[in-house]
Amino acid sequence: MARHSRRENLTMRLGVRNVTKAFANIRALDGVSMEFAPGEIHALMGENGAGKSTLVKIITGVQRPDAGELSLDGRPAAFASPRDALAAGIGAVHQERNLIPLFSVGENIMLERLPTKSGVIDYAAIDRRAREALDLLDLGIDTRTQVARLSVAQMQLVEIAKALSLNARVLLLDEPTASITDHEAAALFAVLNRLKGEGVAIVFVSHKLDEVMAISDRVTVLRDGRLAASGEPISQVTRSRLVSLMIGREERRAEIARGRAPGETVLELAGVATSYGHANVNLVLRRFEILGLYGLVGAGRTELAKAVIGLGEITGGRLLVNGRPTVIHNPHEALTRRRIGYVSEDRKGEGLILSHPVGTNVAMTIWRRIASVLRLVSPSAERRAVKPFVDRLAIKATSLSQLVAALSGGNQQKVSIAKWLAAETHILIVDEPTVGIDIKTKVELHELIGGLSRQGVAVLLISSDMAEMIALADRIVVMHDFGVVGEIENDRRYETMSKAIMEKIHGADAPQPIGHDGLASP
Amino acid sequence: MTAVRRAIGGDWAGLLAVLVLGGVAAAFLSPSFLTEFNIYVMLRSASVAVLVAFSQMIMLAVGQMNLSVGALGGLVAVLFGGMLERLGLPLIIAIPLALLVGVAGGLINGVLTSRTGVNGFIVTLATGSAFTGINLGLTESKPFHGVPREFVALGDSHWDFIPALLWPPLIVAPLLGVFLYHLKAGRWLLAVGGNPSAAQLSGVSADSMVILAHAISGGLSGLAAILAVAQLGAAQPETGAGWLLVSFAGPIIGGASLAGGSVSITGAFLAVLVIALIENVLVLANVDPYWVQFMLGALIMLTVGINRWRAIRAART
Amino acid sequence: MSLASEPAQRAWGRLRDAPQIGLAAAIAALFIIFTARQPAFASSFNLFAMGRSLAVDVVVGFSQMVVLATGGMNLSVGAIGVCCVMCSGWLMHSLGLPPPLAFLLALALGATLGGLNGVAIARTGVNSFVATLATANLFSGAMLILTRAVPINRLPPEVSAIGSYRMLGFVSPPLVVALLLGAALFVFFSYSVTGKEMLAAGANPRAAALSGISVDRSIIVSHLLSGLLAGLAGLMVVVRVGAAMPAVGGEDWLLPSFLGPVLGGTALAGGSVAVLGALLGATLVTIIRSGLLVLNIGNFWLQLFLGLFLLAAVLAQRYRGIARARLE
Repeated sequence: MARHSRRENLTMRLGVRNVTKAFANIRALDGVSMEFAPGEIHALMGENGAGKSTLVKIITGVQRPDAGELSLDGRPAAFASPRDALAAGIGAVHQERNLIPLFSVGENIMLERLPTKSGVIDYAAIDRRAREALDLLDLGIDTRTQVARLSVAQMQLVEIAKALSLNARVLLLDEPTASITDHEAAALFAVLNRLKGEGVAIVFVSHKLDEVMAISDRVTVLRDGRLAASGEPISQVTRSRLVSLMIGREERRAEIARGRAPGETVLELAGVATSYGHANVNLVLRRFEILGLYGLVGAGRTELAKAVIGLGEITGGRLLVNGRPTVIHNPHEALTRRRIGYVSEDRKGEGLILSHPVGTNVAMTIWRRIASVLRLVSPSAERRAVKPFVDRLAIKATSLSQLVAALSGGNQQKVSIAKWLAAETHILIVDEPTVGIDIKTKVELHELIGGLSRQGVAVLLISSDMAEMIALADRIVVMHDFGVVGEIENDRRYETMSKAIMEKIHGADAPQPIGHDGLASP
Repeated sequence: MTAVRRAIGGDWAGLLAVLVLGGVAAAFLSPSFLTEFNIYVMLRSASVAVLVAFSQMIMLAVGQMNLSVGALGGLVAVLFGGMLERLGLPLIIAIPLALLVGVAGGLINGVLTSRTGVNGFIVTLATGSAFTGINLGLTESKPFHGVPREFVALGDSHWDFIPALLWPPLIVAPLLGVFLYHLKAGRWLLAVGGNPSAAQLSGVSADSMVILAHAISGGLSGLAAILAVAQLGAAQPETGAGWLLVSFAGPIIGGASLAGGSVSITGAFLAVLVIALIENVLVLANVDPYWVQFMLGALIMLTVGINRWRAIRAART
Repeated sequence: MSLASEPAQRAWGRLRDAPQIGLAAAIAALFIIFTARQPAFASSFNLFAMGRSLAVDVVVGFSQMVVLATGGMNLSVGAIGVCCVMCSGWLMHSLGLPPPLAFLLALALGATLGGLNGVAIARTGVNSFVATLATANLFSGAMLILTRAVPINRLPPEVSAIGSYRMLGFVSPPLVVALLLGAALFVFFSYSVTGKEMLAAGANPRAAALSGISVDRSIIVSHLLSGLLAGLAGLMVVVRVGAAMPAVGGEDWLLPSFLGPVLGGTALAGGSVAVLGALLGATLVTIIRSGLLVLNIGNFWLQLFLGLFLLAAVLAQRYRGIARARLE
């Protein structure tokens, strides 16, 4: 086939040799080396702050190493800019989309080399050459479709096609399954496997252990800027070994004893339908209980939470708070009248005001309460109100005036949660609390959530981390496709619970093969 | 066929309907509306406004704003007048020179905005003030009347109801269309407006495109100023005073996105015609001319409101 | 982990870098230079005149600043100002109301017009630039239609009396009002719940909304305040000239409304205001304007100078920020 012959002899090996990069005396990378070989899917893993994103920036030409070098097929390579890296054959699909929304798929693919005929753009040639690029992946998208009309997954695939058409022989994907559905992820993995077969070297950056176990051939783990594992064949690595490589010790599961018996029902959804598309959602949240809401990306859990606090509309069924049917119009009402809080999964975008200090971020929910008669909040009153929570969560900041942007990811998340502790809500919806957080903080947060529940706060925990869910939740409601597909009591045993949960999800949908052996369990 | 559609732009059918219906209504309401002279007057005043609208439109295309459109226009007008009256330059030299001044002003805006990284809003607010200052300083608020008679005659001439002054905008519009939809530079300009970082990653220099857009904008302001001088028969320092509003009203009512990367040439043209129609009708009906400003504000509100309503409805489905 | 108050060293560093210091230094330097060239510059009369015009600029700047706080902008500052001017004139002249009452009602009009802006923007989600561009013309147009652009010159004598009253020989009451207003705004944004919520809403509306802050309310309040302050600025002009003129405000106020706050360090993107900075920024501009006048450097060139100056100031701030970041 013509396609195949184009890929032959066009493979490339990307080497990283002793690369070091420091920012203001902190070594983000300290003498790391690894090789990305053609025809392999090589996963790059590491906790927040491990150096993953710095390495990605160096590979894609955004930053230059302070010491060490990159090599292509053994020859040293230096990139002065992302364009240089691209020209050298390194294609990247980043977390944010890099497409012009109102341009067509074809124009986006051909943007840097728009073909012209007698000085004027040749649209027919654009369509033709873009078609060739899409055919490399067997994508059936019309080249004249406006990019804005595509789904996120389709946009990603267009970006991959574009990179390949620019002769990318190394393809780097940064958290590609972050905002696509399970279905779409499967399609993506099928494409990656195909490309692997054609000799492309694929660098797969992810924090999702299950995915990495399922589709990669090798894994490199970074920890605190150094190598914990370099190019280990995945067949020789177990899930628990991966975790211990990332944190440097065995994963410490939080000690969450099932404390008290569940109390009265504080929140109930009866046959709820929402403006987001949910239908017939039933769930019951009780005091002294952690109710888990499990589902894969795209199941509609965050949207359900947002509907409960009033960001979306409940269009059918009833929402009952403390037994009484209620309508919540906005988060302000949710907090002040119903004492419901929501810890957002998007801590930088929705959970925190990065440009404001720690004190402001924590006190935001309680200004009205600590204000004096004149509705003035004195700095000392704010400090007095905020300090206990900062201490309790062991937030590392130079002072309450330090800007949140300067804190580490884990501490930022703590601030985001501290705000809700301060608000003393009766019901707290916690959405993906430990994504991208270092393991030590993760354990702290788990213990915190357990403690909250024991104190009487009813916790609704949304998480895609199966292990986290099984460790914390008393009951687990499983969601799929904006509906509830099951509810299970948690016996806290990973093997049985994970199987039970997956069966609920797959009962609603035909099983999709992912990677070489379906969903892996440790 | 698609090439023609691409050159013409987005959905302006609504505006065309408004224009036609409005015209019909006006003809019924006032007997003097459909006269050759009246249409001529209406189109003449629209001619300058169309160019002013285009001047801002190209900025919206690249995702920026230019608050110095009127100020630069005023400066070009007086320099043009000065060239004609004080320096006695022939039109064949004065016109290109004046256009060059416009482009130069635009380049200053562009270079300052892109090289310093300061927000274009502030930069053009500042340069606008500077341009006005130079204008006032040179003229001391006194207009230049020494405009050659042939030029004024040109400004008055017409073929039936089509004023000679309408030709520049009629020529510029398709040129802009070809530029934005059929030339690489134009597509790159719109790409920068649509997603600057993505465009950069694809090798398009956002800085260059911003400078290019400003240069074109300045040139169009300059052209509008020259037409204004022809229309008024004199180079007034106040030229450009009311341009800011029209420069945004035209493209916005015509369907441009304030976020950048999406404009409609035909839409802007038709929007300006609709505005001219409304002004004309108000004058014919002997309504207080002050109603014009009021109507313009209401029109913008209405348009934007409808667009938002549409967007909210689309998001719900 | 210590939460002790900041070491003096860090506080000094912040002070040194603040734009306020640079502005104050520039003001002092220019004052000395102008007085040296023309001693009449420091005369009590000139100080008085500067103070009166400064008061207007300061309040116009504040009017924009409160909207910048929530991440928006208000292009109708001048239009609201002139509406309040003509309203007060009409109330005093045609209805014969006593000045204090007329002023109060005019301020209420300003707040109402601002509130309309706020409601339109908050409820429809329309961009504040476009919305206030539209309402600027709606308001000006309405005012012109109603008044037919006829100035109202015969106002009760108390009005000009306030304008020409001198405290301590060189301080004008409007200036005192402006300074008190500045203090009030400082307290408002630093300590009041509403002010802090406005800054949070401006810095990150999504995060603020999810934390229970009503972003809509913040936007409406900011525009309401803006309208009120624009009206106040208009009234200050009325007492200064002793008449209600339709030429006041309008697009003339656009540049000054941004100049003071931007020079002083208020963020265009929202979430952060610098009240003292806005005040100093306006002061700097007034000193320059007055200095050029006193030195007989054509008033026409003032516009040019102001524009260049704004550019220079913004550039200086930018490069200072970059230089500082490089040193760290």
